[in-house]
Amino acid sequence: MREGSAKICGLACLLSPALVVVGLSADARSRRAEASARAPSVAAVAARLPTSDLALSGGARWLRAPSLEEPSAAFADGPGAPDPDPAGGSMAPPVPLWNARGAR
Amino acid sequence: MNASLLSFSLAAVLRRKAKSFALGGGLAFAVALVSAVLFLTGSLRSEAERAHAAHPDVVVQRLVGGRPTTIDEGARAKVESLPSVRRVVPRVWGYVFLPSLQGNVTIVGSPPGDAPLSVANGTLAEGRDLAPGAHEMIAGEGLARFLGMRPGDELGLPASDPRAKPMKLVGTFTSSLDLWTADVIVCDDADARALLGIPDGQAVDLAVHLSNPNEARVVAGAVLDQLPGARVIERDLLARVYHLAYGRRAGLVLGASLPALLALLVLAWDRASGVGPDERREIAVLKAVGWSTADVLWAKLFESLLVGAAATALGVLGAYAWVFWFGAPGLRPALVGWSVLYPTSRLTPAVDAGELLGIVLVVLGPFALLSVVPAWRAAIADPSESMRG
Repeated sequence: MREGSAKICGLACLLSPALVVVGLSADARSRRAEASARAPSVAAVAARLPTSDLALSGGARWLRAPSLEEPSAAFADGPGAPDPDPAGGSMAPPVPLWNARGAR
Repeated sequence: MNASLLSFSLAAVLRRKAKSFALGGGLAFAVALVSAVLFLTGSLRSEAERAHAAHPDVVVQRLVGGRPTTIDEGARAKVESLPSVRRVVPRVWGYVFLPSLQGNVTIVGSPPGDAPLSVANGTLAEGRDLAPGAHEMIAGEGLARFLGMRPGDELGLPASDPRAKPMKLVGTFTSSLDLWTADVIVCDDADARALLGIPDGQAVDLAVHLSNPNEARVVAGAVLDQLPGARVIERDLLARVYHLAYGRRAGLVLGASLPALLALLVLAWDRASGVGPDERREIAVLKAVGWSTADVLWAKLFESLLVGAAATALGVLGAYAWVFWFGAPGLRPALVGWSVLYPTSRLTPAVDAGELLGIVLVVLGPFALLSVVPAWRAAIADPSESMRG
């Protein structure tokens, strides 16, 4: 490799994180702007739904709307039992909510 | 910056291709995995919070034996009489298990007076809003597709209540909303009651809208005084629930991949911090021909930076592309869940320049510094001894 092109390659490698940061930030910003344009439709639909919880774990009723359900046991079908649904093990119960309620 | 030293370092990196690729590849993979989990978690959290504002200020449920049960609509009047309460809406919603789907769908009763849904306002992909009393429904696009339904088709959902009638699909939610609507069927309040077996005069919960949302805590206390045994959920606390839920998921995924990450980092550290006999001899030759210790250190620092910067950039770029351009295949089920009706819409990045820069600096800083120390040790050694080995 010639020294001139080696210098350019070296400089490009060193600057590559900065280029990636700038490029991805711009892409993220434009995607957020697109999402903001959809905000009224999200609000219109969310107003009809019982909760703003995402439809992520719809296979089990106690996981679909964790913010509104199961106040006393994480899993009503077997309190303290291992979660039969794999996603459930990763879904935290609403601890702050219970704490706040207990404090009242 | 000394450009000649930089080109010398690049040549050195290319001379040791195998080591550089192993080191850079391992680092890029580790950065990509951790960054992808962070990007996906941040995105899910912000998606959950996007719909949060439309949630009622307070939700009131009734508990029996520690479990939520239906609440008498008579409680509505008690809550409505409280100061600062603007509107109380009894809600009817629940789940119906579909054997063909082997999963639950969420049935939501739509009381009169809700904001209209239409193709024009971007909520529906096709069709129109419900006509009250006409036994109609609107379904998530994924659910309609799974059931093979088009607007105009009728569906009889399993229900023990004889009041339940087959419902006509009159619209589907747009796919960009399927993070919220993938498993949802919105229908008339009466149809929802019939499907879910909820008698008239009962509701699943009460949605309470306040004239001043800052008074939610006070109103929640007053509701508990009026309705002993009720469960009161404030909207602001839900934001913390989301934070916890997705943080916990990310933690578990990262925890599960910790052994692989540690192995990669140990390999990278070993490779970066060790100066082999060849490199020791190279440094000795450089010192013998007149290079200063500072020149040697700069050259070695450039070598680390070249490999580390390219690997970090590649890792971050790969993570971003994996999550936001290709939809996080392989990773999404671990963080999003194993639902039958899987939301497929594109996620919106929540990551900003500061966070990206933070990841780069956290990786690149220690990586570069780690490699300088052994090079400095080799550079201050006597060149003739180093050359003799």
